[in-house]
Amino acid sequence: MQTRTEGDAAQVPRQKRGFIERYLSVPPLRRQQVYYAILFIAPGLAIYLVFMLYPFLNTIYLSFTNWNGATVTKDFVGLSNYARMLGDAAVLKAFFNNVIWVIIGTISPVVIGLFLALLLWSGTRGSLTFRTIYFLPFILPLVVVALVWQWIFHPLFGPVNKLLDSFGLEQLSRGWLGDPNTALYAVLISAIPGATGFVVMVLFAALQNVDVSQVEAAKIDGANWFQRAWYIVIPQLAPVITMVTAITLIGGFAVFDNVFVMTGGGPGHASEVLGTYTYQVAFQQNQAGYGSALAVLMTVLSLVSAIVFVRLRERQSNGT
Amino acid sequence: MAREAQSQRIAGGAPRNWLAAFGKYLVLLLFAALSLYPLLLIISTSLKDPLDVTADPFALFSSFNPVNFYDAWTLGGFGGYFWNTVVITTISVVSVVALSSLAGYALARFHFPGSNIVFFIFILGLMIPFFSVMIPLFYELKNLSLLGTKAAVILPAIAGAHGFGLPLGVFLMRSFYMDLPEELADAARVEGANEFQVFRRIMLPLSMPGVAVLAVLVFFQTWNNFLLPLVYLQGSENQMLASGLYLFAGGRTGEYELAAAGSLIMVVPVVIFFLIFQRYFIRGLTAGAFK
Repeated sequence: MQTRTEGDAAQVPRQKRGFIERYLSVPPLRRQQVYYAILFIAPGLAIYLVFMLYPFLNTIYLSFTNWNGATVTKDFVGLSNYARMLGDAAVLKAFFNNVIWVIIGTISPVVIGLFLALLLWSGTRGSLTFRTIYFLPFILPLVVVALVWQWIFHPLFGPVNKLLDSFGLEQLSRGWLGDPNTALYAVLISAIPGATGFVVMVLFAALQNVDVSQVEAAKIDGANWFQRAWYIVIPQLAPVITMVTAITLIGGFAVFDNVFVMTGGGPGHASEVLGTYTYQVAFQQNQAGYGSALAVLMTVLSLVSAIVFVRLRERQSNGT
Repeated sequence: MAREAQSQRIAGGAPRNWLAAFGKYLVLLLFAALSLYPLLLIISTSLKDPLDVTADPFALFSSFNPVNFYDAWTLGGFGGYFWNTVVITTISVVSVVALSSLAGYALARFHFPGSNIVFFIFILGLMIPFFSVMIPLFYELKNLSLLGTKAAVILPAIAGAHGFGLPLGVFLMRSFYMDLPEELADAARVEGANEFQVFRRIMLPLSMPGVAVLAVLVFFQTWNNFLLPLVYLQGSENQMLASGLYLFAGGRTGEYELAAAGSLIMVVPVVIFFLIFQRYFIRGLTAGAFK
């Protein structure tokens, strides 16, 4: 009986009864729905609360303790973990490196990606092939990307040094990842193709919504390619450009994989970022309390930058 | 597509002369080369003869030794990493999709007190980076004797620790279900279906495009994720490809050809999956970017 009506319902949902008859026969749903709501939500909510929200609150709590991960008691130390950060040269270095990462690692993919997307949009053969190729580095596992770039910067066999040698620029070749002056930038380069591919993909999709009549008009008025791009197309893309900038930028504070695999934050702390340092403090030095404080700092940084961008975007959409 | 072609014809406008056109394709090809080069370098290195590796590991395609894949799979341990990754990713994807659909549907369609609060609590997870749960979660999993087991990656992945779990899923599926017409559900109720049957037989099939987008995003995030297995599977036999590759490359610096073959074992499924499901993947990411 039950299964038959169920099958009927799936196949011929509307044809059997008229609207009024159907409306009258619907049972009072509210009470039943509360029961089903609990049934539907509880499993997911339970996993989410236990493995996400609870550890999140715990991080905040631990950041006020000096717990080392092993003792039973956790001594409350107030804000001293946060005070310690200010005097920790490695934190300052890591923060500074994060800022460099955020600035260069955001501006270059957005600028290059915007330029490539515009080139592809202006009547290019094989546009889909180019887009797919540009997008490939974005879908590759970061561990693999980092490993390959480690090879590319290899002091002896690396293609970068080979290329410099072949142009007679031997004096420039070096151990890019072992040199404190270049380590961070070498790692940063490994992250740029992937981020650029993402920007190209999103901006190219957004370009499909650009008002073409304006561009056409500007063309008739004699505006060249750069003028049309700068004055007509880019302003229409502005909200999406803000959005990809925000996504890339917020990710910049949580960067870990590339740095950890390529240099481990070294040499010394030369390429240290907050992510690698937090990992090191928490799991190699077992300072769960101090590590948690660093994690809170990272969270605050990405939240603040997210909020700044949401505000910026609101202002943008109010303006237009 | 037609629209795209039209916009290309009218709007962009071809560069005025052949020099500009040449410059344009030169730039496009240069960046394409930069994007493809790392992948080519992996493929080339993975096919290298061990002798050739000691001479010059990174010269492109100078020898052909496919036995490396067999060696990486067996001696390198990548076969085991591969199956662990397959199991962990599959369970994570199926669980996120199932639990998000259920919760998203209930939040979109059922009237009950506190539904907004529950939704807000889920959405909060979108703003929590992994680092801010990483440390206590380690000790929590340790206390539950889950550290080193597949569950140590699966449960946090479902919960959203790596970014694309329940918070994103509930958000996506809820907005998807809100757009479906309520009359369909009413009709089924009239026919005597209970709420679960309405969901399972009517609404879930209609939400398949949303499910596909979510499944593809979770697949990529779980397969590629490095930190979760690095922290929670340390020294375990359940190692995944990402952490296994890191350990292998860090431990045996000389065997570039095997590290490359291992990388390729990890990359090939990702690329195949991407080429098949490109549409859903890009839809998911652009939807996120436009919101």
